[in-house]
Amino acid sequence: MKKDVNSNRYIFLYATVLIVIVAVLLTVTALWLQPFQDRNKKNEKRISILTAAGIPDVNAKNAPLLFEKHCTGSFLLDESGNISDDGTLPLFVIDRQISVIPMQGNGLWGPIWGYLAIAADGKTILGANFDHKSETPGLGGEITTEKFKGQFSGKQILENGNLVPIQFDAITGATKTSNGVKEMIDNTLEKYSAYLSRIAERGE
Amino acid sequence: MANLKKLIIEPLRKTNPVTVLVLGICSCLAVTAQLKPALVMGLSVTVVTALSNFIISLLRKGIPNRIRIIVQLVVVATLVILIDQFLKAFAYDVSKQLSVYVGLIITNCIIMGRLEAFALSHGPGESFLDGLGNGLGYSLILVIVAFFRELFGSGTLLGYQVIPQSFYEAGYQNNGLMILPPMALIVVGVIIWIQRTRNPEMQENNQN
Repeated sequence: MKKDVNSNRYIFLYATVLIVIVAVLLTVTALWLQPFQDRNKKNEKRISILTAAGIPDVNAKNAPLLFEKHCTGSFLLDESGNISDDGTLPLFVIDRQISVIPMQGNGLWGPIWGYLAIAADGKTILGANFDHKSETPGLGGEITTEKFKGQFSGKQILENGNLVPIQFDAITGATKTSNGVKEMIDNTLEKYSAYLSRIAERGE
Repeated sequence: MANLKKLIIEPLRKTNPVTVLVLGICSCLAVTAQLKPALVMGLSVTVVTALSNFIISLLRKGIPNRIRIIVQLVVVATLVILIDQFLKAFAYDVSKQLSVYVGLIITNCIIMGRLEAFALSHGPGESFLDGLGNGLGYSLILVIVAFFRELFGSGTLLGYQVIPQSFYEAGYQNNGLMILPPMALIVVGVIIWIQRTRNPEMQENNQN
């Protein structure tokens, strides 16, 4: 019997077999690569935290070791700035004095996020690190560059115990992304304000 | 042998997918603001075109004609997802660079175009080379466009500062227009112009 490649039966059969093969292939690959991908994501987070806190030369290889060495605690805070298991605000402490807090916000095309390192006095930004999912390369994507990140070091966030809105040089041509960064930082600091003013008081 | 060589060399010049067939313009605008994403994108598209051409060519006698586009899409999408997964696992930095553009590979007209026009009617070996050639032709244009856009738009190449600081002090400024997508079209247009001036046989005869 000569097979008819255009009969309905053959088409259905062909499509079904093809889809099953593809589905199995993709599932096996995804499961096999999952641990590697998780490790990369975890490492990326560690690199961001350490870089924001000003630890030099962190890369994917030495990140787990350095993180082990420098990160002296990770906690959850509640809204009044107390450490609690039910808290919703993560906090990483680096070298017993630097507070690193994660930030999340929206850029032009998608989410942006980053980490903000705050010095032991509770009111000076030590460093910042930003990343994005899909900002335009060369425009909004520039928030990941040293030039943009560097300008945050040394900025004061508290004045007489009150939060001051952050000010920085925006990126030309990327107004929405820059606004997103500002909103993200202001919102995050607002949430952590109780904790920050507490360590600021302790510092004085 | 000469014929096989032609399959790779021709798409770089006389049958270039971007400047002659005018395919893949969309991603050409999107990823050429900087050189590095352009290089990675060119490489990924080359791999996907070559492999999908190869696979479709192997399957070509069994594919039912009525669902052939769907079969092609499934094969291309599978390859792209596999590449994305592998990049995420073993070359995380590169995968972050590409981010949204991985999805754009699936919609790249060059891939479907070569599958329809070549792989369905030629053997696996030839199809593989054809895919390779077209991918390289695409990469070539991408790299040329990205070179000019990054150089004049940001003063850098691959992220390294190329235009010396003394130029800026003397009043030179980066051209912000180069970073915006329309400039990619203009650069591609200039490339087409130069190419056609040098190869008069490529000019269409508009008199009839």
